[in-house]
Amino acid sequence: MVMPPSPGRQEAEAIAHSAPEERYDRVVRLAQAIFGAPIAALNLIGNDAQFTVASVGYPKGEMPVEDSVCQATVQQDEILEVHDLREDERFAAISSVTGPPRVRFYAGVPVRGQSGQNIGALCILDLTPRTLGRQQREMLADLGALLERELSVQEEMDLAGQVQQLMLPTSAPDIAGVEVAGRVQPAREAGGDYFDWFVVDDPEGAGKRLQVALGDVMGKGLAASLIASEVRAVLRGHSRYTDVGNAVARTLTTTRHDLEANNRFSTLWVGRLDPATGALDYLDAGHGLAIIASERGYRRLYQDYLPLGAPIEDAWDKASDVLAGDELLVVVSDGVFDVLDDSFEQVEARLHTILEPGLSCRQIVDRIVDFAVSHGATDDVTALVLRRTDHERRSTDR
Amino acid sequence: MTYEEVDQGTHVVLAPEGKFNLVAAPPIKARIDDLVAAGKARLVVDLHAVDFIDSSGLGALIGGLKAARQQGGDLRIAAAGDQVRAVLKLTNLDRILAPYATVEEALHGW
Repeated sequence: MVMPPSPGRQEAEAIAHSAPEERYDRVVRLAQAIFGAPIAALNLIGNDAQFTVASVGYPKGEMPVEDSVCQATVQQDEILEVHDLREDERFAAISSVTGPPRVRFYAGVPVRGQSGQNIGALCILDLTPRTLGRQQREMLADLGALLERELSVQEEMDLAGQVQQLMLPTSAPDIAGVEVAGRVQPAREAGGDYFDWFVVDDPEGAGKRLQVALGDVMGKGLAASLIASEVRAVLRGHSRYTDVGNAVARTLTTTRHDLEANNRFSTLWVGRLDPATGALDYLDAGHGLAIIASERGYRRLYQDYLPLGAPIEDAWDKASDVLAGDELLVVVSDGVFDVLDDSFEQVEARLHTILEPGLSCRQIVDRIVDFAVSHGATDDVTALVLRRTDHERRSTDR
Repeated sequence: MTYEEVDQGTHVVLAPEGKFNLVAAPPIKARIDDLVAAGKARLVVDLHAVDFIDSSGLGALIGGLKAARQQGGDLRIAAAGDQVRAVLKLTNLDRILAPYATVEEALHGW
């Protein structure tokens, strides 16, 4: 049986296919304990299947929707209680009644999704017929409401994470002579790490420049992501009109109230490259994790400034370097540095893995992020890699 | 994460243990705010038993430092391990939160 798609069933499918959530299990365990029932479950009703996303006494997974009792529950707005499933013609023939585990009693409360439609049900099942009292029905309704709340919080968080991902640059910058890639892997749905790149006009009229940035707002999760979005947008705005030092200084002036009111600070590394010459201006606000690397070795691009939001006034003068044709600019967040024991010796020891000839910037970024994630990073993990392409890369000739 | 607190009259020593991160930082920051509000604005955070700090932990220390200084006091850190020192140095926060070798040294001038 395939039911026509509806917003509610689409939503159920989406939730069922996202990562399983421990907190749904908690509510289901609570239901099982309160009712002393052998089976309790949260079942989501998709287009043609029922997804058991949290359960006690019954395996998680999917089953055909015609074998589901909960698909009847989602079609109503109140609790569905069946004293003995064998005596109800709608359910007498379904497999879990005629065969193991031979359930007899069912009570389920519909659970509504963000779409306003019911997407599933919290249900308890027993192997002997029984009847719920008035208080027990109220309790089941309360647990259903609790689960609804958990689901909507999760969906909000997922959406916030999507918004943040969609704000990251995805297409190559509109400037010749560079290759750039970046990736953020937030520890939660959203986070305080971000990267950015965009093309600006040199304020002295010397042509187009590629600006890259990587920032890390203290903390994790949605709250940190709000501040990260602000710092990113303000930096973009100011960067159009001035050099990187002034752009960061003005960004701090604009965001200072919001950083201080929230007791947050943000590390930030900003670079501005002339792809034709390799001239690179940069500003390091307490970030410290930018290097230029090649087979000849590496050097750090750092300054003594504090993170934005720290209680001290700084001068914010840019520094300069030159990115040679065979060199990589690599900027990471502390989520990467932490798995390297916060040690530059470890960074140096790992450099060969990103300097292998033939790797694209995208592949290098993936190597860095995947390495950090697979080595137990607990923080947001971000990497940005940039190189010039208008020169023959001498490293590949060696 | 647990932390010990010793009120020495002229100053209060807080000694967190283990990981000073997103989970551990808020209660310690709240305690620092309470102490400062109660007029105890000379604080030493003894970090000898902290084996890991992240940006949330640093945020709690900087927030506590700001609160203490606004009340005419100070927050000083003592006995930081290698990881804590590395992170302070990386972020340049050691410019405003200089690590003292011992709690006794952190008390100078108080």
